[in-house]
Amino acid sequence: MTDVATDTAFDGDALRDREGARRRRRQAVRRYLTHPAFMIGGTVLILLGLVAIFAPWIAPNSPLKTNMSLILAGPSWEYPLGTDQYGRCVLSRLIFGTRISLQVAFWVVTISLTLGTFIGALAGYIGGWIERAIVVVIDIVLAFPGFLLALALVAAQGSSLQSVIIAVAIAYTPRVATVMRSVVLTIRPRPFIEASHAIGLGHLRILLRHVVPNAMAPVIVVATVSAATAILAEAGLSFLGLGVQPPTPTWGSVIADGQAVITTNPSISISAGLCIAVTVIALNLLGDGLRDTLDPQMRRQTGAKML
Amino acid sequence: MTMHPGTPAADDTLLQVRGLTKTFGGRSLLPGKAKPVVRAVDGIDFHIRRGETFGVVGETGSGKSTLGRVVLRLLDPTDGQILFDGQDITTMPRSRVRALRRDMQMVFQDPYGSLDPRMKVGQIIAEPMRVHGLARGNLAARTAEIMRQVGLAPHMADRYPHEFSGGQRQRIGIARAMALDPKLLVLDEPVSALDVSIQAQILNLLRDIQRQSGVAYLFIAHDLAVVRHISDRIAVMYLGRVVEMATRDKLYANPRHPYTAALLSAVPIPNLSKERARRRIPLHGEIGSATAMPSGCRFHPRCFKARLVAQRGGVETAAAKDGTVLPAPCVRTDPALAQDSEGQMVACHFPLEGAEAAQATPAAPVRTSGDPA
Amino acid sequence: MTARNVIPGPFPAAARPREEARPGPRPDPRAGVEPTLDLRGVTTRFPGEDGPITIVDDVSLSVRPGETLAVVGESGSGKTMTFLSAIGLLPPPGKVVSGQVLLDGTDLLTLSTEELRRHRGSGISMVFQDPLTGLNPVFTIGDQIAEVLRAHKPMSRSEARRRAVELLDRVHIPDPTRRVDDFPHQLSGGMRQRVLIAMAIALEPRVLIADEPTTALDVTVQAQVLELLAELRDEAGMAMVLITHDLGLVARHADRVAVMYAGRVVERGPIEAVFDDTAHPYTVSLFESVPHLDSDSAADLRPIEGQPPNPAFLPAGCAFEARCFLGRGREDCLSRRPALGAAGSGGHEAACHHAAELRKGEGRP
Repeated sequence: MTDVATDTAFDGDALRDREGARRRRRQAVRRYLTHPAFMIGGTVLILLGLVAIFAPWIAPNSPLKTNMSLILAGPSWEYPLGTDQYGRCVLSRLIFGTRISLQVAFWVVTISLTLGTFIGALAGYIGGWIERAIVVVIDIVLAFPGFLLALALVAAQGSSLQSVIIAVAIAYTPRVATVMRSVVLTIRPRPFIEASHAIGLGHLRILLRHVVPNAMAPVIVVATVSAATAILAEAGLSFLGLGVQPPTPTWGSVIADGQAVITTNPSISISAGLCIAVTVIALNLLGDGLRDTLDPQMRRQTGAKML
Repeated sequence: MTMHPGTPAADDTLLQVRGLTKTFGGRSLLPGKAKPVVRAVDGIDFHIRRGETFGVVGETGSGKSTLGRVVLRLLDPTDGQILFDGQDITTMPRSRVRALRRDMQMVFQDPYGSLDPRMKVGQIIAEPMRVHGLARGNLAARTAEIMRQVGLAPHMADRYPHEFSGGQRQRIGIARAMALDPKLLVLDEPVSALDVSIQAQILNLLRDIQRQSGVAYLFIAHDLAVVRHISDRIAVMYLGRVVEMATRDKLYANPRHPYTAALLSAVPIPNLSKERARRRIPLHGEIGSATAMPSGCRFHPRCFKARLVAQRGGVETAAAKDGTVLPAPCVRTDPALAQDSEGQMVACHFPLEGAEAAQATPAAPVRTSGDPA
Repeated sequence: MTARNVIPGPFPAAARPREEARPGPRPDPRAGVEPTLDLRGVTTRFPGEDGPITIVDDVSLSVRPGETLAVVGESGSGKTMTFLSAIGLLPPPGKVVSGQVLLDGTDLLTLSTEELRRHRGSGISMVFQDPLTGLNPVFTIGDQIAEVLRAHKPMSRSEARRRAVELLDRVHIPDPTRRVDDFPHQLSGGMRQRVLIAMAIALEPRVLIADEPTTALDVTVQAQVLELLAELRDEAGMAMVLITHDLGLVARHADRVAVMYAGRVVERGPIEAVFDDTAHPYTVSLFESVPHLDSDSAADLRPIEGQPPNPAFLPAGCAFEARCFLGRGREDCLSRRPALGAAGSGGHEAACHHAAELRKGEGRP
């Protein structure tokens, strides 16, 4: 019956199949490459990453070395962005500051993504009183402004790079968890989850293999955007002197140092502020781009609309 | 296929269901907010033999889909008993039910939603074998074999579900269900989402698979023609109950329950002379709600036969909720499913007789006596 | 709920079977009557990655007052797109590139958006498959019917409401004065479809296009809804287009049939001709691939093998060639696309090189 006719049709398909796979991959790449927000955000972040990695080679001076003979100097060949009130190279401090900011962003995203995904998926999938309990805790945490919470946590733990990362991560985990839970709630009733039960899969396998992978796209978008808030939070803490301790160069501390001389030498604070702004915008653009390109559902819908 | 110990070889009953009931709602953690109880499946008895196809037809709200899920223990029964392959699985703990999935599988209605969009087709089909520890080592070979059996080219294993048409996806769903070589397959509206030309491909495939593997089907559908085509025996469901159960030929040639007759008469036949000679038996109102079950026979508010019997006179009558005068038993007593001399089971106080039943069947058109025209 | 919906009396008007059973072929009573809706050579394209894709290809169809034209085809055959093209509701970026859509002589394709909007509703209206998405969940059904009325005719609120009640009564919704204040979610699927029909006939259109109006409904409800449509058609002398995939419904309700495949009409004509003297292999296969209540259930079905062709890569010859029991591999079927040609009397036409062979009963599987 079906075999003869369908199989002959398939033979012609085999070639097209391999071609098709290659074509689909090309299409996926093209989708990213033609998305301006994704490209701009991605390029800026890659450049910032390179700056962070190669900071010691790029920076014209040591970010810590003070030059008492050149305090608050204007731009020069040796100090392209001038010096601060301790005679340190502003550009070098900004370059090294990239390291702290990106580290904070990276670890906060990693921690809050892992924890938030786990908590949110658990709440959404299990339901019942466990879900209600988790939701109450999340709501309580979310009731505090994220930054204030981080501030309190750092104040309690003492300030160091680690405690900044932990504090900010704790403050932002509930956001990821909330998104995760709501996405999982939409996935749980979908037929392929029931189908997984029907073939005899255990809950853990269903959760890890079927629920979480299908929920990741929006969560990754949220995580990207929360990287931006993490950088802002770190800068804010450093600005208040609660972040990474001086003299370690961070963007926040450069702003704080510049603030004392903001009337005479505004360029110090402004340049650090620009660094933060550019990074945050780049992360948000990347998040937008990911949102548009990650979700196969959305892609299929736009495809289906045509026919 | 392995024979489970304790199964007598002569007994060919694979599934036996007694008094199966599933209700939803009614419980609530917050006091005063209890939802109304929905009696989705309400005291159902039937059995399925090995290698046989048992069809279940019914309209929206009849409880047919819930029935399929309770039988598989995807939902836990509220009451009753399920015997599968000689063992009582009614209250079996979840962990053991999971092992049981090797022998009982399901194919779903929605060929788009029932496949994980992020998994490749090969992974989807191999997954049941992987979790049940089958075909270790030659998983890929076995996957390719199953794909060929359901009419899919094995080289398609690396594609994602969204690259397939509806019919092909349903083949994938069937392949996944058949990968474990089960003894019972519950098919919940397996072709209703497919285009007409594709439905036949899938129905033929299901027949071929059954001939080769001896799997039994519980085939749930609303399409009477499709159910007739594939089933050996058929149960007609209405509001959680089986109202009629018989072999295929008896049910379609000689429906005895007024609901079955009305249902059959509503299905048009694509043959001009036959179709033009038929009359549709009109039903009154709409299917009732399982939260506010009618008194007596669940079908009485819509039943034409009850009205005819009351008009004809000679029976004690009573007023239904809307004031219609109907025979008292219909309004007061819930009829039990009883077997007639022909072995046909019907739950009706006044089952249709000969000519009355024949008017709904395609072959022999008969005029309704009570037609107002 | 149940009790309220019960229509009293042994056989309610809503569910009365269609008048006389019609025996055998009959002379066409509307021969010579001008069609209300006349589609001529409508061609619709969508831009695709490798050039434009033709979704509707040179489709000509017409329907006369008081008549039901059934348009049969599978999903993707272009049957819905044809009529969305006709009423100017084509989803972007689709475009009608040629053809005429004459509604009582006026070409709808030449009208401005505003003029077309006025024609929709009063001249031509459409009922869609899904009765839930067609209704706005936050307004009562009375408000929604009144909105349609008031958008086309100046009318006071109370008058629009009175008309809404009348319309609900006309589509046999029991207790319309109470139901008019219901929200869509308070109604069953069948009742919602009735409300949509009430909205579609609110402005007394001359043509009603029903696109799979009962696919989402149970079979007993389906019969009721289609009988309602037939009744409205007969009362008002509307022309009706019934888009469906169910040949049984066609047998029960249509006067003429058009079968579509891959964007083209492959067979059309009076229902007796198409059903009893089928002249296209695709139509034959459609009949034989679906189980019927009266078919031989022991026999295997004869499915149409393979899939419908991708509209972006249509073959040079007949689009059905690869799946055809009659023409697969035949030279003319592979090389030339068959045009619609006469296949008997009464305007029966088929687009098949071997229609004569098929009608003689040769080459059937």
